[in-house]
Amino acid sequence: MTEARTLKIKTSLARQMAQPGGRTVAEVERRANERLDRHRDDVMITVAGTITELELVASAAAPGSEPQVYKLASSLLDMAGFFDTGPLYDAGYSLCEVADRMAVSGAWNWPSVQVHVRAMRMILTGGCQADATSDALLMGLRSVAAKART
Amino acid sequence: MSAQDRVNLEQSTVLLIDDNPQALDMLSSVFQGFGVKEQIKCASATAAVRIIQHRAVDLIVIDCADPEMDSYAFARWLRRETPAPIRFTPVMLLTGHASQSKVQEGRDCGVSFVVTKPLTPAVLLRRILWLAGDEREFVESANYVGPDRRVRNFGPPLGIPGRREGDLSTHVGAAVEANMDQSDIDMLLKPQRVAL
Repeated sequence: MTEARTLKIKTSLARQMAQPGGRTVAEVERRANERLDRHRDDVMITVAGTITELELVASAAAPGSEPQVYKLASSLLDMAGFFDTGPLYDAGYSLCEVADRMAVSGAWNWPSVQVHVRAMRMILTGGCQADATSDALLMGLRSVAAKART
Repeated sequence: MSAQDRVNLEQSTVLLIDDNPQALDMLSSVFQGFGVKEQIKCASATAAVRIIQHRAVDLIVIDCADPEMDSYAFARWLRRETPAPIRFTPVMLLTGHASQSKVQEGRDCGVSFVVTKPLTPAVLLRRILWLAGDEREFVESANYVGPDRRVRNFGPPLGIPGRREGDLSTHVGAAVEANMDQSDIDMLLKPQRVAL
């Protein structure tokens, strides 16, 4: 068992934030949301482009291209994760989970990838709305993910 | 946190590190909205290392999957290879999906927080406010350097001696009753005439 040394510290951030002044939480949130929202259209274009890339990789199903799936799905989450993309984010997360588990186990299954990518395209086309269709799609993806876990 | 609470980042410098330029721009917009004094943007963790070697910052936010140095490796470097007080700088690690191999690394690399996406400015702000009031001790051991990972300290598990000075023995344990009133304490200390 190693000896642990503990230190009481006060960070410069804590000292600065304890100073009087600043803005209210409501105002700061409003300003940040406004600025973030200016990126929304560009991000959705990027997300659509990433899904197109995933479609190409999934339909080619080329040996050696498996790591591309996780990389692309992960990059989609990085972008979509800044906005409320609801079911699209969930489908992307499920693809990351499935790709990661299949890569670790060595049992890669392209149809599992393809069904995810098709679902993501449908959700994107539907405006990323959570509705009966997206619920049904996500339920199907959950079954695929559960299979990848076993 | 209520909407009328105040946030003061007007004196703070934030280092933003993201290998995705579009995501870096979005993070930058969010922190601009938060009203930080200065933000330094880095497209890689290795570029951030060069900055940290020359100047201090107050908060680091990182989302970097670069195989040369990813978020986890950067945090380990900061905590182990830099002098105080730079090594104490709060670090928020952002991630979309953490692969199985990275979950344990996230726990052990010494970051203040792992924040998973989807994230909103409100979520980020709550984490920053939490960091401002963070009273966790900083732990340095052979296997781990970083803020105490025990957010709530209930002491060591039963039957295992504590490793830290502040650890309560298993005989004492954590307090289970409310604190005494000051008047009760005064009564205990008050000298009283005793008839013998």
